[in-house]
Amino acid sequence: MSPGPPPARAGDSAALVLTVKEGGPETVAFLAGPLNVNTEAEAWRPLDEFLSRRPAGTPRLTLDLTGLTALDLNGSAQIIAALEAAEKSGRQAAAAGLPPRFETIFRLAREAMTKPLAPAPPRVHFLEEVGRAAAELVRDFRALTFFLGELTAEFFRLAARPWRFNWRSVAEAAERSGVNAVPIVALVSFLVGLIIAFQAAMITKLFGAEIYVATLVGVSVVRELGPLIAAIVLAGRSGSAFSAELGAMRVAEEIDALTTMGFSPVRELALPRVLAQMLTAPGVSLIACFVGMFGGSLVLLGLGYTAVTYWSMAVEKVTLYSFLIGFFKAFVFGFTVGAVGCQRGLAAGDGPDAVGRATTSGVVTNIIVIAVLDSIFAVGFYVAGI
Amino acid sequence: MSPASDRPGPLESAPPLEVDGLAVAYGGAPPILENINFTIGAGEIFGILGGSGSGKSSLLRHLIGLVPPRSGRISLFGRDIWAEGGRRLNECRRLFGMMYQSGALFGSLTLLENVALPLREFTRLSPGSVLAAARLKLALVGLSGFEHHRPAHISGGMRKRAAIARAMALEPGLIFLDEPSAGLDPITSAGLDRLIVTLARNLGIAFGMVTHELGSIMSIIDRAIILDRASRGIVAEGSPAELARRTEPPLVAAFFNRRPE
Repeated sequence: MSPGPPPARAGDSAALVLTVKEGGPETVAFLAGPLNVNTEAEAWRPLDEFLSRRPAGTPRLTLDLTGLTALDLNGSAQIIAALEAAEKSGRQAAAAGLPPRFETIFRLAREAMTKPLAPAPPRVHFLEEVGRAAAELVRDFRALTFFLGELTAEFFRLAARPWRFNWRSVAEAAERSGVNAVPIVALVSFLVGLIIAFQAAMITKLFGAEIYVATLVGVSVVRELGPLIAAIVLAGRSGSAFSAELGAMRVAEEIDALTTMGFSPVRELALPRVLAQMLTAPGVSLIACFVGMFGGSLVLLGLGYTAVTYWSMAVEKVTLYSFLIGFFKAFVFGFTVGAVGCQRGLAAGDGPDAVGRATTSGVVTNIIVIAVLDSIFAVGFYVAGI
Repeated sequence: MSPASDRPGPLESAPPLEVDGLAVAYGGAPPILENINFTIGAGEIFGILGGSGSGKSSLLRHLIGLVPPRSGRISLFGRDIWAEGGRRLNECRRLFGMMYQSGALFGSLTLLENVALPLREFTRLSPGSVLAAARLKLALVGLSGFEHHRPAHISGGMRKRAAIARAMALEPGLIFLDEPSAGLDPITSAGLDRLIVTLARNLGIAFGMVTHELGSIMSIIDRAIILDRASRGIVAEGSPAELARRTEPPLVAAFFNRRPE
């Protein structure tokens, strides 16, 4: 049986009409109208549905293209893919009646699409992913250890001949990564001090002990929160900037250029930044302490206490040790922020996403290392009784 | 997603690109180029030539609608791209493809996904048809078998070919190429030239290419303009063979004979 073609729609502006006429072993799909980038999925559905059914025996499918009014590469690809799908499902498939004006474009497409689509790479098994992640963690740890060794060696070289070092680069890095970070550190510390004082006041009010909120804020901000807030903000702001800067230099082969010219990238690029962070972090932390305590004072002033009462209670339990411990922690956190940020940047890979990955890795590693170090300090100082 | 029916079709018989009295400038700075006039015909391979700093890339950025012109008119298939204050600009952008010098493929996507992206976003083709169309475009540029590779894992020449495949995704009648042969070995460069000629001659796609490569200029370009920084405009226009024979202006002779100015 040879069914007649459906009424054709002339003109490119009309939509494609695809009619599938099934008649025993031979099926004819009539395509009428334009088959191009503007063809809608709905128009192609009858053929997709027909091809999705499993055939009995080896029936024939003919794509009758007589009614095509427009054909582009996308349309040609659709025809070729349909013929491939039909043959894959056990049918004999052929296209017929292609208008002569579309022969060149169709031939070009047919000659190009001789190879099947490459199979997608197999999905990596969960256990393999875990293994890869663990191996990467070990590699990262080794790289960080090597870097710290190299950095330490550079510190010794610097101590031996400080006049040979470019101190101007330290000053520039200190301004960019430390001084310019003060406003954001101050804002965060102010809000944290305010929130802690407010929450504590809600509880202590029940016992009439609101005044001890000042002591709580003083001790926690000077010893714990000031250095921690400074470190986390510096990790997010300055450590990430180091990773991005050095990562971009790695991608642009500037690090390779330095190495081939006989310079040490650690000495020229990492050391000034790490020094800048170590020198500025304690100062930034000190500012965080005062601003945090100031934030707490507003709550107590709101509850009717005077500023003199608040500040005398706030500093009552803040010993010199507390200040020194806060200073020491900020100094170590500054070193961590600078070192991890620079190491991640220097170890950035190739490719357009290398800088992004280095920056993310730098910030995440910094925050983890800061949290772990802070815990070690807390336990260590408790055991030492200070 | 913009429906396919919103995609403007080329106006009948209008040339792919018409540039009329264009002044190329950034912000309030003095113009880099003034009174630029040229047309690219259907299926024509058109060269935008000139020395470094002559304004080729700036002109290209204006042609693809990234920078509004100081004055003058840019028409794609008869449509002024900055008409109605640029409101129809995004629709006009779907009338042409662009291959950037580095390829500018999206690193997080495979080559197949890169080519399929505009088809998914701007057409109503079925997912199977999108896949078939993207596969064909990659096959046409000789990248069959590399569909699932990411840009970082293929060579520079392959990235450029993949970028042409992506530029062809929406079946544009005009493709702009920024330094297609830069950084490629002669064999890869010749392969890319042959691909451009095949697409132009068989599919009628017009190409507007910025290039320095004399080999490509002489072998594939039909017509070219030469820009000059000093005179802020076009100093010569014609076929490469004709331009290469000229002795005046000196810049043209220096360019084609590789002589220092």
